[in-house]
Amino acid sequence: MSTAPRPSTDPITLEVVRNKLDGIANEMQSTLLRSSFSPIVKEGLDASASLFTLEGETLAQATAIPIHLATLIPVVRTILGKYPVTGMREGDIYIMNDPYCGGTHLPDIALVMPIFSRGRPVAFSAAMTHHQDVGGMSPGSVPTNATEIYQEGIRIPPLKYRDGNELNRTLIDLLTLNVRVPETFLGDLNAQVAACSIGARRVGELAERFGANHLPAIAEELLARSERLARRAIAGMPDGRYRYTDWLDNDGVALDEPVRIEVAAVVSGERILVDFEGTSPQVRGPFNCVPSGARAGVYFSVLAMTDPSIPINGGCFRPVELRLPQGSIVNPVEPAPVNSRTSTIKRIASTVVGALRQARPDDAPADAASALHVLAFGGAREDGSPYVVGELIASGSGASRGRDGVDVIETDGSNCMNLPVEALEMDVPIRVLRSELRPDSGGSGEFRGGLGITREYELLSGEVVFTHRGERHRWPARGTAGGGPGACARSVIRRANGTEELIPSKTVARLFPGDRVEINTAGGGGYGDPEARSGARRAEDLAGGKVGRPPAHAD
Amino acid sequence: MSDSCAPCRIGIDIGGTFTDVVCVREGHPAVVFKIASTPADPGEAAIAAVRRVVESVGVEPAAITQVAHGTTVATNAVLEKKGGRLGIVTTEGFRDTLEIGRQMRREMYEVRLDPQTPVFLAPRAMRRGVRERVGARGEVIEPLDEDMTCEALDRLVSAGAECIAVCLLFSFLNPKHERRIRDIALTRHPGLEVSLSCEVDPTFREYERTAVTAFDAYIKPVVHRYLTAFSRRLAAAGVRSPLQVMQSRGGLAGAGTARQRPVRLFLSGPAAGVIGAQAVGALAGDRDLISVDVGGTSSDIALISGAKPLLRAEGIIAGYPVRVPMVDVNTIGAGGGSIAWLDGAGGLRVGPRSAASDPGPACYARGGLEPTLTDASLVLGFLDPARFAGGAIGLDPERSRESIRLRIAEPLGLCVEEAAAGIHRVVNAQMAEGIRLVSVAQGYDPRAFSLLAMGGAGPIHACALASELGIGRIIIPRHPGVLSAAGLLAAPIEHEAATAFAAPFAGLGMADLRRVAKGLDAMAAALMEREGVPAAEVEVHHYADVCHIGQGYHLEVPLHLDAADGLERLYEDFLAAHERIHGHAVAAPARFVNIRSVHRQRMSGPVDPGAIGSASAASASARNAPGIETTGRTPGEGRSSEASPDAASPTRTGGGRRRGDAGSPRSGEHGTRMVRFSDAPERLSTRILARSELVPGEGVEGPAIVEQDDTTTLIPPGWTAIADDEGTMILAPAPPEACRRPLSASRNAEMRKEQR
Repeated sequence: MSTAPRPSTDPITLEVVRNKLDGIANEMQSTLLRSSFSPIVKEGLDASASLFTLEGETLAQATAIPIHLATLIPVVRTILGKYPVTGMREGDIYIMNDPYCGGTHLPDIALVMPIFSRGRPVAFSAAMTHHQDVGGMSPGSVPTNATEIYQEGIRIPPLKYRDGNELNRTLIDLLTLNVRVPETFLGDLNAQVAACSIGARRVGELAERFGANHLPAIAEELLARSERLARRAIAGMPDGRYRYTDWLDNDGVALDEPVRIEVAAVVSGERILVDFEGTSPQVRGPFNCVPSGARAGVYFSVLAMTDPSIPINGGCFRPVELRLPQGSIVNPVEPAPVNSRTSTIKRIASTVVGALRQARPDDAPADAASALHVLAFGGAREDGSPYVVGELIASGSGASRGRDGVDVIETDGSNCMNLPVEALEMDVPIRVLRSELRPDSGGSGEFRGGLGITREYELLSGEVVFTHRGERHRWPARGTAGGGPGACARSVIRRANGTEELIPSKTVARLFPGDRVEINTAGGGGYGDPEARSGARRAEDLAGGKVGRPPAHAD
Repeated sequence: MSDSCAPCRIGIDIGGTFTDVVCVREGHPAVVFKIASTPADPGEAAIAAVRRVVESVGVEPAAITQVAHGTTVATNAVLEKKGGRLGIVTTEGFRDTLEIGRQMRREMYEVRLDPQTPVFLAPRAMRRGVRERVGARGEVIEPLDEDMTCEALDRLVSAGAECIAVCLLFSFLNPKHERRIRDIALTRHPGLEVSLSCEVDPTFREYERTAVTAFDAYIKPVVHRYLTAFSRRLAAAGVRSPLQVMQSRGGLAGAGTARQRPVRLFLSGPAAGVIGAQAVGALAGDRDLISVDVGGTSSDIALISGAKPLLRAEGIIAGYPVRVPMVDVNTIGAGGGSIAWLDGAGGLRVGPRSAASDPGPACYARGGLEPTLTDASLVLGFLDPARFAGGAIGLDPERSRESIRLRIAEPLGLCVEEAAAGIHRVVNAQMAEGIRLVSVAQGYDPRAFSLLAMGGAGPIHACALASELGIGRIIIPRHPGVLSAAGLLAAPIEHEAATAFAAPFAGLGMADLRRVAKGLDAMAAALMEREGVPAAEVEVHHYADVCHIGQGYHLEVPLHLDAADGLERLYEDFLAAHERIHGHAVAAPARFVNIRSVHRQRMSGPVDPGAIGSASAASASARNAPGIETTGRTPGEGRSSEASPDAASPTRTGGGRRRGDAGSPRSGEHGTRMVRFSDAPERLSTRILARSELVPGEGVEGPAIVEQDDTTTLIPPGWTAIADDEGTMILAPAPPEACRRPLSASRNAEMRKEQR
């Protein structure tokens, strides 16, 4: 029996440390969610926590929504570029949010803290939170009509938030003067500080236990292992250049101009290159997506289409390369506005899935509608108090071999809850007249695409500014292997006097009492020859009315 | 035989594999045994248990004053999709609420999705809308269309519906239409089981309310049949006391009441386990506990704070939300059957796949080839192959060595022992992070708690987990394998009534709250009366769910109706809870969400030591009962053939297997074994002791192993164990004095402060 001490990178220590690092990232995330003030963090889970190596690669990360995947990587790199690690002190915390130097959009503010063990830096802890408001032209800092980033809020370059144990009061005074609700803003920043500090404390303990000298070696081995697994998974796909093109309806400004997302996924051996050559130039409206967002979309799809059980860290991303043409919607040039990039990330993710489907046709679904309708109603209650309520409404998922698509479900880049009808109606003078599946909206096929939803609202009192941000109004989710496309989305405003206005995917309109809005979200694509659909599935579709009646148009 | 007439109480907890029984009589040691479960008809094992108590222990059926039962029948009906054929009636335009749910997916990276909501309860053809509408202030906007209601019900029944869930919008503010639908249903179709959302869960958020109401109706026929048959068989056996069932929040209810609201039974067994843990902790003087129940496929973690189990307002059953108060038991995917494997990069991973009990670990020699945690325990010398589960399952250590050698050790270039120790280190790190996350998410620092280890494998990991978590005190109950059954006898009868109460604090007076509470109290009191609990024995607690205005999540806070400053206290308590759970508190306006009245039977004294196994009881039963490891509660893990009921003689005269009776070097010692503790570099000569022979108050210093039929306790070097007078074993890092002191309240407060 060998009793000699083993090197610190023995496989058991590695796995113990990996479990601890994941646990630490989760504890940071839990602290972040627990201590934050904003509802968007507490209920929308729009925050994430990560640990990084001194070289700026992800060691462990905890995210509740995929659009946060890997988004802290460029932040840490930028900070390291400006503040070399050799000059960092224990207690330092760095801050930034600027999309044009590695951020995502302005509400996402990142804090990064170096972790020291016995006076030496060993790693970084980092936390990113979507803040409720960072100033700019409209409350909430996501103006859909922005045409340059200056309208979207305050830009923070890489700066010191805390120098040693000294808070940067000048910066804090400047920031709080520029946001609409300073208390919430500071509360959420403090939650980020708490999360980073917990990460620092626990990684410090880890370094004590396993040796500050050994920790970087262990970290590098963990990254190398994930990289090896990712390479193997990619090598499992046949080499080839897989192209797919899909569209966003428009940018909200030029309503007749579709936005093209073109992808060539080039698999060669153990590497994959995702090339966006052919993608539309950047747009006037806020749907531009800076590289960190494009990365999140691509990484999501590559993980989902290879092996999501690989321990996620920077190693997984090493064999994945992106080519993002400058001045395109996936790599815009400042000062293009960027706040509404979620729709773009979702379309990037679904397009990359579409490309890789050609490499793995049996393991991929048909196109999901991959469209999250974002509605906002801003008005005043009968007592005069103002309100803004947001609605996030999903559509149908794509069918795959052996499985019908799921009706009304969140897919790819986002995973948001809907708002209960009862919560909405108790809060504001709006009534929901119905909220039910949209028959015949799923693409036909041996396996049917998931259905969209029909949701209809009536304004009861007051006047409302209504914002509608849809997708798939013009470009359906396509079927695969002989399956048909899902139905396109369709939204109308039905005025109290009986006139109808079709909504061109995106709009801002005024509503008056008695006006109704009907939203029909898109269905997912079907899979396989519709003739081959089993009798049992057909019978159930007919019995439940999911198929067989004309599309739902109200009375 | 006057003894046979001494009042006798029985706790029966039915799990997937074993049915655990604890029987307590005044003036007698407790009797503890296990028999094989009978998954096809779980009541059969329960009745067999009662019969055994009558025949072998010698108790008159008429002397049985209490039969308390923990059951998996509700959960199994859902897991196996064997509930009744269900129809759902909703407001027109909202028939798909159950199917759409909250539109979220559980697996973030999954692109080939399966339905994420319990649509199997009622496919679309079995859901019908009826014209009616109640508004957000409870006003009727559109009256109920009765013709349409009749037609909807008739169609559902002709499609085979035997149970109906009614869930209309805003019924929690105005239940009129739902009640009318029930009247119509029962008039036209007598014998239908009907659940109304305004009664099951009168709270806003229509999906969650629909789901819980649908689950209630779906399992009603199954639970009804089961409890009715069980009660009838008890009566036929001459037992006069009514059957009681454990509910998810940790209180007992009479079978007659329980079957009216079966959705409260999902966590029946685990709730009993938590109550058992609370009782053992109370005896040892510990009010703050983390209980860890290590089973075959997973481990259950629960927190007890201030001697009260933490509850949650909504649980997850089979992956679906069930909004009913329940003990906050969190499951992590690591247990004795968790499989160790190497990933493509040569990384050692453990779980989440499990060999469960079929085929089971390699050492069971039942065809399992993959190494499990239990195999590692055997290789390291933690388990005695001949004595595992009291000898009921013979283990083959060679198969363990072989599977670890082939699949882990050789590919990694390690010796078998190092690989086995590695498996333990990895699992302990996983479990510790899981426990930490559960406590941190609740705003607690695990270092302020004692660790209570239960389940067959819990005490093997206890010291390693405590070390990882910085916990300095471990409690091992006398019978960790049957703690749920013991908990049944430590639990009070409890009923609750709740109502939505959407009102801001501002402008409210105590009189308003008292008025609401009075109505709830009447409902709860009627239920207690039905159970035959005298009013004098009932303690009444009121709670309010409170949130800040504009907040979407609420917290439960005690409501002191008698205090003149009740509202102020409520607000302060709310802020304190907010501070603990959310890390901050702001004096912003608050409002009520729900008000709840809980009526609980007052227990005589803090706990009944008999119920959780006194020292004398222990020595009586442990030697004789086979006490096999209790594992997961799901059926299909059955290894029932191994647990011959005949081996389970509870009498004290049976042929127990005692070794080393004579010439033991010291009390309870059964020689030594070479054991490799996972953090030690080599095997250490380790004393083996029998739990039943530990001398109360005498310290046992590690390295040592304490064996008993239902578990094995590891005492690594640097730890000391002491058994107390009740048979509970306390472990602490040496010196032994540490075992004698529960954490003081001030110490807990200190640690919480430090944690902020």
